[in-house]
Amino acid sequence: MTLAPHEQLPDHDRPPDAEPVPKVRRARTTPPWWFALPALVLFAFVVLVPSVRGVYYAFTDWDGLDPDFSFVGLDNFSAMFRDADAVQAIWHTLLIAVSITVVQNAVGLLLALGVNSAIRSRNVLRVFLFAPAVITPIVTAYLWRNLLGPDGAVNSLLGAVGLDGWRQDWLGSPQVALWSVVGVIVWQFAGYSMVIFLAGLQSVPKEIHEAAAIDGAGPVRRFWSVTRPLLAPALTINLMLSIIGGIKLFDQVYALTGGGPGHATDTLSTLIYKDAFTLGEFGYSIALAVVLTIIVAVVSTGQYLVLARNERAVS
Amino acid sequence: MKTRKLPVLIAALTAGAVLAACSGGTKAGSDGGSKTLTLASVDQGSVEDVVKAFEKANPGVKVRYTTSGADQYQQQIRTQLSSGTAPDVMSVWPGNGNPGATYVLAKPGYLRDLSDQPWAAKMPDAIKSVAQYEGKTYNAIFGQNGIGAVYNQQAMAKAGLTPPDTWTKLLAFCKAAKAKGTPAFALGNQDNWVTQLVLYALVATTVYGPDRDFDQKMQAGQATFAQSPWTTALDKYLTMEKTGCFQKNPLGTNYEASQALAATGKTLGIIQGNWVIALLKQQNPQGTFTLRALPAIDDPAETLIPAAAGAGYGVNAKAKNEELALKFVNFVMSPEGMNLFVKKQGGLPSLPDTGYAVDPSLSELSTFIGADRTVPFMDQLWPNAKVQQTMLSGLQEIFSGQSTPEKLLDEMDADYKAGS
Repeated sequence: MTLAPHEQLPDHDRPPDAEPVPKVRRARTTPPWWFALPALVLFAFVVLVPSVRGVYYAFTDWDGLDPDFSFVGLDNFSAMFRDADAVQAIWHTLLIAVSITVVQNAVGLLLALGVNSAIRSRNVLRVFLFAPAVITPIVTAYLWRNLLGPDGAVNSLLGAVGLDGWRQDWLGSPQVALWSVVGVIVWQFAGYSMVIFLAGLQSVPKEIHEAAAIDGAGPVRRFWSVTRPLLAPALTINLMLSIIGGIKLFDQVYALTGGGPGHATDTLSTLIYKDAFTLGEFGYSIALAVVLTIIVAVVSTGQYLVLARNERAVS
Repeated sequence: MKTRKLPVLIAALTAGAVLAACSGGTKAGSDGGSKTLTLASVDQGSVEDVVKAFEKANPGVKVRYTTSGADQYQQQIRTQLSSGTAPDVMSVWPGNGNPGATYVLAKPGYLRDLSDQPWAAKMPDAIKSVAQYEGKTYNAIFGQNGIGAVYNQQAMAKAGLTPPDTWTKLLAFCKAAKAKGTPAFALGNQDNWVTQLVLYALVATTVYGPDRDFDQKMQAGQATFAQSPWTTALDKYLTMEKTGCFQKNPLGTNYEASQALAATGKTLGIIQGNWVIALLKQQNPQGTFTLRALPAIDDPAETLIPAAAGAGYGVNAKAKNEELALKFVNFVMSPEGMNLFVKKQGGLPSLPDTGYAVDPSLSELSTFIGADRTVPFMDQLWPNAKVQQTMLSGLQEIFSGQSTPEKLLDEMDADYKAGS
């Protein structure tokens, strides 16, 4: 997940033949690892140790209150696969994560290509398109909760332009609600993906484009053969961020639908919250959280390995 | 960019965690003394006045209190109780079925027995049943609330309709209201806790009317949801939906939106708890709103209202300042404290004879309480929180065609049998 930008920078400043002066070399040396020790100790103490100790409770029937609890082995994990709500929530989580990743990045890339062109209002557009990403997710969720109501702005707008047949109970229908949630998140974060893609696009040297144009490549061909490979690092970051964000998704779902109607939009995170704080089933809820952690770790590591190989292949 | 951000993030997290650790515990003991009481409350907006009056009545006493929303409070109080840092007095919900309820906190011994306090014996039976655990009183419940049909008087006058008092008249009322283009009741089922209110109003009469001991039978395993008039109540709920008693798309309508509908006369009323009246008045200060019983049968004399104790106060079994804690709880249960609370909250006092002047909008509720024609909210005597959660999401599923009444009641029976 962490990039080391200095590895990708060309060595402009080093004279090809001269022996580098010690000063420069010292500047380039990696600092000793123990410099990080104080921070690591603190991190371990505040984050790692409590998290690992927390995992222990996944194997108990603790209710979050009673000091008298017992060890139940893998019961919580086996219960999960018998719990239709949990299985459904895992499915929703993956569905949301994948659709957000695909749609958000597709939209983000299109927006980036748009505002990277020579249109006059591009700076204003960049600001407007990025603006939703800086609003607190809970605020956008409450905003959309009202816009998507049966008599909300979205339905009124559809009615006003004669598309009455398209009007929906956006958050109240179990078939539509999940996609409404995805839509709201894409609306909010497509601008974020756009900015990262834009940075990538602006690092593509003009000369290569010109050379390709002289060789007779059209715009589509230039995008595919020049821009796309050079965008690989930006794509890696964007895909990683959106898939991890999608899997962990909690606040927008909770504020928009509360996981409803019924369990139609419950994700692993909303289920973890409900099981722990509404039902007091901390042991079970922590077991769900452990599963979520494993899913995030596996998916993001797998994705990173594939994308990193891809990056090396195209560069 | 990412690498440079990380240390900053870690530093920020660390600082945040350290600060939270320092401020997490209550201040109990930090500035001890016999004149300081610590209090955690969910009665935002009303406890402030009570604390002021208490401090005034007891010169030199200082109450250090925090208020928070129910969700946040329930997490906080459980952590504090299990780590021994809980305040002297804390909000406690009646009965069972939520993480901060009387049974849940009294069972592991976190609450002090309050049976010896003067008010404990005066509680009406319906309140006593949810303030006690194994025959001992743990919860100083000061107020109660009821669920019924809250009518917008101006909208009713405009439609030329009057509140129905029988089931048959209710359906006719719904049809007439719909024909006039203003549906009878607003229903905000997108917020899942709202889904239960209509059902509770119907269950009170259909289940508890013929059998006041239904809860005892459930506890003894002699009754089930699926084999009881719960089926009738659920069926009537859906009949109301089919008859057009509610506005369109109740599942896409949230609690706030439903208030707006009833407050502005886009529906003739709303089936809610009495607490909604204050909120309706905020949105429409000129409006007049009255709570009436929701009829479920054709004999008005047999209609019951679900009316239940609201959250009260319990005393920490390990209170740093027990004497002052008891003093505070007794003040809450005095006519002065009780009236201060319920006036702000818009409910009714839990003990009789407090000299409280009932708001005209609640006179029917007050009459029903006086005539012992109320039953506690159903979930308050259920063995665990799961039964209610299953019901709430199940009702949303029924309204969206994902489940059936039979399936829901069977699931509730299964959760009920799983016990505490």
